[in-house]
Amino acid sequence: MRDDKNFVSNLINETRLNPNIGTWSYLLHRITGIGLAVYLLMHTWVLSSARTSPEAFTERLGTVQSPLFHFLEFFLSVAVFWHLLNGIRITVADFFSWTRIQKPLFWIVVVLFLLMMVWNVIAVWPKILGH
Amino acid sequence: MALHIQIDAEEYMNAPITNRGTLTWLLQRISGLFLVVFLFTHMNINHLTLGERLIDFTLVNERLAGSTGWKIFYILFVPCAAFHAANGLWGIIADYRPSDSVRRVALGALFLMGLALTYFGADTLIHLFQV
Repeated sequence: MRDDKNFVSNLINETRLNPNIGTWSYLLHRITGIGLAVYLLMHTWVLSSARTSPEAFTERLGTVQSPLFHFLEFFLSVAVFWHLLNGIRITVADFFSWTRIQKPLFWIVVVLFLLMMVWNVIAVWPKILGH
Repeated sequence: MALHIQIDAEEYMNAPITNRGTLTWLLQRISGLFLVVFLFTHMNINHLTLGERLIDFTLVNERLAGSTGWKIFYILFVPCAAFHAANGLWGIIADYRPSDSVRRVALGALFLMGLALTYFGADTLIHLFQV
């Protein structure tokens, strides 16, 4: 792994060289994790406008509640709930030595994730359309 | 083989925490479990809303200023997220076995990122808490 040059093709190659559920879990956890860390920086910047004035906060929060930002917010919830649910799977596998049932746990995560995404669509879709 | 992995996992779990890698592994899971509760609540209140009204300073201020519960919630939420993000990114970088100089730079940058997120997050909260 160390000698491979490209970080992204490394990640993709992994799924080809080791085509198992655990690899997809690792890959998705890593991608959503990086995305969420970047989002956290932007989120803190947006909210830190409260340090200037209440008006600045309201104005900047108004900007990020447009249909375009609600569309992006849909993908925020995708990343948050995938990372959250799969993180629980990793933690219980670690803490309770449940590594031998990590594959069924993965499918439980998928089902719970899809349920959250139904909620996500119901909540965000009208806002994307601008209602 | 599976039996050996099982025994190793249990030995690992019961081993005293004597090195930094084990400590940060544990802290990543503990902060993650906190974030499960925090994020599930936070997302449902602020992101997966049905969009009855725009979120502005008054709305957030009214909710936070009068409630000790929400204050404790967010005061714990901010450092958990900052640590989890910085430590998670470090876990990714460490996976690629960086040279000593890259390690130092990355650790320094991530440490600063965690501190900055905590400082600006906390200062933002102080402004949102004001009566």
